Amino acid sequence: MTIFEGRGLSVRYGAVKALTNVDIALEPGLVHGVIGPNGAGKSTFIDGLSGRARVSSGVVTFNGEDITARSPRWRRRHGIARSFQRTSVFNSMTVRHQLEMVAERNGESDLASLVDTLGLAPVMDRVCSEIAYGTQRSVDLALALIGDPKVVLLDEPCAGLVQDESVRMLQHVRDICREREVAALLVEHDVEGVFRTCDRITVLNLGEVLASGEPAEVRSNPAVVQAYLGSAA
Amino acid sequence: MTDNLTGAPELTITPGGSDSQTRLGTIARHRHWLVGGGIIAVITLLGLAVPYLVSSKFNMGLVLDGVILAFLALSIGFLARHLGLISLGHTAFFGGAAYTVGIGIGRWSMTPTVAFVVAVVVGTLLALIMGVLVVRSTGMTFLMLTLALGQALYQFSTQRIAIPWTGAHDGLQIDLSGGTFLGLTQKSMMNAALFWPVAWVLLMVCALWLWITGRSRFGTVLEGIRENEERMRFSGFNTDLPRLIAFVVSGCVASIGGALFALNAAYVSPELLSFTKAGDALTAAIVGGLGVLAGPIFGAIVYVLAQSRFNTSGNLHLYTGIALVLVLMFLPGGILGSLEKWVRGRLSRRRQATPPSTSEPSSPEDQS
Ligand SMILES: Nc1ncnc2c1ncn2[C@@H]1O[C@H](COP(=O)(O)OP(=O)(O)O)[C@@H](O)[C@H]1O
Ligand SMILES: [Mg+2]
Repeated sequence: MTIFEGRGLSVRYGAVKALTNVDIALEPGLVHGVIGPNGAGKSTFIDGLSGRARVSSGVVTFNGEDITARSPRWRRRHGIARSFQRTSVFNSMTVRHQLEMVAERNGESDLASLVDTLGLAPVMDRVCSEIAYGTQRSVDLALALIGDPKVVLLDEPCAGLVQDESVRMLQHVRDICREREVAALLVEHDVEGVFRTCDRITVLNLGEVLASGEPAEVRSNPAVVQAYLGSAA
Repeated sequence: MTDNLTGAPELTITPGGSDSQTRLGTIARHRHWLVGGGIIAVITLLGLAVPYLVSSKFNMGLVLDGVILAFLALSIGFLARHLGLISLGHTAFFGGAAYTVGIGIGRWSMTPTVAFVVAVVVGTLLALIMGVLVVRSTGMTFLMLTLALGQALYQFSTQRIAIPWTGAHDGLQIDLSGGTFLGLTQKSMMNAALFWPVAWVLLMVCALWLWITGRSRFGTVLEGIRENEERMRFSGFNTDLPRLIAFVVSGCVASIGGALFALNAAYVSPELLSFTKAGDALTAAIVGGLGVLAGPIFGAIVYVLAQSRFNTSGNLHLYTGIALVLVLMFLPGGILGSLEKWVRGRLSRRRQATPPSTSEPSSPEDQS
């Protein structure tokens, strides 16, 4: 059952075609991975789906409704949340302050358990700029997960994390999505992590879909092996 | 309205917290309201003694000028502190309100009290209009837009067409003999010592208002917008409306100052609308400290007193410049800002020296 869908999405920046005719369908409780080399258009894809970038063609639907023209605020209020590749938190505020602020806005009923799951309890009263980078990434993720969104679009939540942290972060994403029945799109650099975590995978290259499907399918896709995975597969 | 800026139920989150912890949290939460309100009340009372402490009429006039400039400095400082926006257009509200007093009394025979109220309304409406035009911009664009709009009003006030209303560069004499303002007659209004309580108490009311605004949930939203506007939008917040509200609130405070100025001086001139006035207020706010509520107030009084000193020496701008450089170099964060930092440093050092007596269940571990 698809809850959130992008069909034929294209985004251009001037003459640059950053994204061309890309489709995706997200289902509750499933994590859909998006991989691809640098500049493949992964962030642009999330920007198009979240309303940050204007799509030049294609439609985004949510529960069957066309929401292509809706503002980021509208999307968030209706359960479509995102995170950013570059950590995007509120540096001058304490972790508690910012999480409570967003929780109040989005009607989160059980912030405490989210805080516990992400291991943020010990840093709640610290100013965000003073906590470790890895913890900031968790705050960033928490900001996206507050208020029981139906859809989360995560842009490299593990960017800059060391291996252990990365593994834990992906586990969190997977567990929380299952538990809360969230439809997730996960852009991630670490290919092995994606294959471990995701139920579906789309491979982007130069703004176009190279392959899409179940992890095993994608892994054995000759085009993917040749163009992207190389010896890693 | 889609935004729940007000009236949203307070949400208290204590991870794994029990009832008693929640209650302690609530008391701690409300304690700062009591402490802050108490401090402002005490300062208000102490300030009422100023006319008895300042002996010379001349100095009393200066201190009152400082307090009136403080309205403008306070309003500019509020925007700088909570939104990181520097406005050079607040003279439009300050001067606009002052002119409204002059025109209201002179043309429409309002009593001073009515003129005051109308002036504050007009100044606030001007802030609403300018706010709609500028709040979407930030940084340098915001600064330039507010400057341009403020200057536009200044230019307008000196145009031929405005002469019957504003007197252009000649200004406008205000005949205050037709009524009273809060019981003050014309003579009392123009007497610094007698006008002082009105100006001072109103200033403190404004300071309290801005302080509560900054400390409320709305203030948190402003901080979020200042820190990371994009993330706020992607977290479901309207970011233009809170900015507009903050701008209008701040414009209202500037208007009150302008209206008071007109009642005390019984004279208004285009200089009130010019950007040098905004420059004075901004400098005063920076000298006092933009990061502290009382900074701009303190700064404005110091600024006016210092200007008077420098002026008698005949080298006003030179000395002002030197003083500003010294403050910026040696007291970053302004006079009160540096003082606050120093006091905080002392306190936390003392707290570290004494062994921790708290029994927090999860003491914040050192992260990195
Ligand atoms: N704001 C922008 N303006 C112009 N070009 C952009 C912008 N954002 C991204 N691009 C271009 O679009 C392409 C895709 O970028 P991006 O989506 O960030 O890739 P990825 O996230 O996969 O690394 C790149 O060629 C990039 O240079
Ligand atoms: Mg990217």
